[in-house]
Amino acid sequence: MNQHTDRPGDRYMQTGWHMDDDMTAMYAEGLLSPTTAASVEAHLLACARCRELLKPRVAQPRLDRIWDEIVDVVDAPAPGPFERLLRLAGVRHHVARLLAAAQSLRLPWLAGTSLTLFFAALAAGETTRWGGIVFLALAPIVPALGVSLAYGRGADPTYEIGLAAPYSAFKVMLLRAAAVLITSVVPALVIGVALLGQTWTVVGWLLPALALTSLSLLLSRWFEPVHAAGGVSALWLAGVLWTNLHAPSLAMFGGAEQLAYLIITVVSGGLLFLGREEFS
Amino acid sequence: MSVVVEGLTKAYGRSRALDGLSFSAYQGVTGLLGPNGAGKTTLIRMLATALAPDGGTIRLLGMDSARDQAAIRRRLGYLPQETGYHRAFTVFEFVDYVAILKEMVDRRARHDEVRRVLAEVGLSDVSHKKIRALSGGMRRRVGIAQALLGEPALVLLDEPTVGLDPEQRLRFRELISRIGEDRTVILSTHQTEDVTALCARVVVLKGGRQVFEGTPAELRALADGHTWLSDERSGVLSWRTGEGLFRNLGDAPAGSRLVEPTIEDGYLLLLGGIPAGATR
Repeated sequence: MNQHTDRPGDRYMQTGWHMDDDMTAMYAEGLLSPTTAASVEAHLLACARCRELLKPRVAQPRLDRIWDEIVDVVDAPAPGPFERLLRLAGVRHHVARLLAAAQSLRLPWLAGTSLTLFFAALAAGETTRWGGIVFLALAPIVPALGVSLAYGRGADPTYEIGLAAPYSAFKVMLLRAAAVLITSVVPALVIGVALLGQTWTVVGWLLPALALTSLSLLLSRWFEPVHAAGGVSALWLAGVLWTNLHAPSLAMFGGAEQLAYLIITVVSGGLLFLGREEFS
Repeated sequence: MSVVVEGLTKAYGRSRALDGLSFSAYQGVTGLLGPNGAGKTTLIRMLATALAPDGGTIRLLGMDSARDQAAIRRRLGYLPQETGYHRAFTVFEFVDYVAILKEMVDRRARHDEVRRVLAEVGLSDVSHKKIRALSGGMRRRVGIAQALLGEPALVLLDEPTVGLDPEQRLRFRELISRIGEDRTVILSTHQTEDVTALCARVVVLKGGRQVFEGTPAELRALADGHTWLSDERSGVLSWRTGEGLFRNLGDAPAGSRLVEPTIEDGYLLLLGGIPAGATR
């Protein structure tokens, strides 16, 4: 680093120093420490002489690349709030865009289902005839229906284009299913804990939810996803209704039943994986 | 040859959508002409690898469509008949989304490609607009733009001019003809004007079968000697023209006032079930 030798009156004299050859070379090659580099950059903004010194040392392709990146950042549209949130959470930009296209990962669906579960949990706190079961009955079908609205011909307007694209349709489906599960299960757990306290009801619906979702996914090999999830959910609600017809009952949520839901989840998941080529 | 189709069959229940179809296509624009229900969309979906045939073989760009799906999809552009759009996306975001489905993961390179195709279809100025704010013609151009991502060697366009006004159709023809200069384009249409304006070759489908394959001039020539004007209705197909005379197709009576046929005349003769040329 040289002390300045500028003419008196030079407006850049205030910097008090200039870059020498070694520093210029190190800066151009990105070898300076972040603190020194920041200091150099502040100086370069004010010093034409050092900019001239630096100019021949910076490769034109690198300059072009930096300029292109600036243009891209300025020119590419800012992503929507959900996509920004995903990126903040560390989701890669292209995955965030694939997820943002799913309607059940958008605010109206998330708000609607959260509100439904909120009222269901409120009802569960009451001692009415059905109050205790309504949260347990509804919580499992929210992720199943949400997943079904995240992919497939009826839910995805670009489904046909996606079929002819090389990106795996199975992978898109799994990515969205995972995202919907997270955005359905977490609010349901939060609502449950907030309104019902730490009772088993808060988690008693988790395995049924996984079983309904994985079974719906598997059935979407043969049926439209919304129809598959709708059918599975209708059967589930019919089962809950049937076991509660004469008196309040938690027969659908006992230990043996939870084991059955686990088995359904594992078997459906396995069959889904084995038949993954069918989705492309 | 870019496209070689042999003995293609497809049935939906008892209805045979394709019934032993065979044809070939080369660089340039090849038209698939036929009435509604002739099997055009079924065929285009099979060429796009979005639908598997019941029988027969399809070779695209030298590859087997049943075996080399991923490789074919990387070199394919596809505009379905009913293209859906994620309405909340901007034009840029939508095309960017499809680019991700085409495995363009690097953001900078992908954004450059999105800008390139939007410029190619003249949509650079509206790239930040929501798709729901665009006219029908502009949306079709968005559809074409996504089909051009990755400079595909084979472009499949299913009824791209349906629902467009005459001016928009002219613009589309100009665009499609430009696309076909260095690629193989398969254009499905039921409008003979599109074929006349764009196609080097034409395949006529009827009831899932190929009833003609050749140049537009050869299609027109089918009606040579079978098209005449008269004061009274005659011929197998006959309609009153604006000049008050009847234009007739079929076996012309002796001494008829024969006129120069159009491609539409040849096409109508084929669809009318007349063994054109047999009684010339």
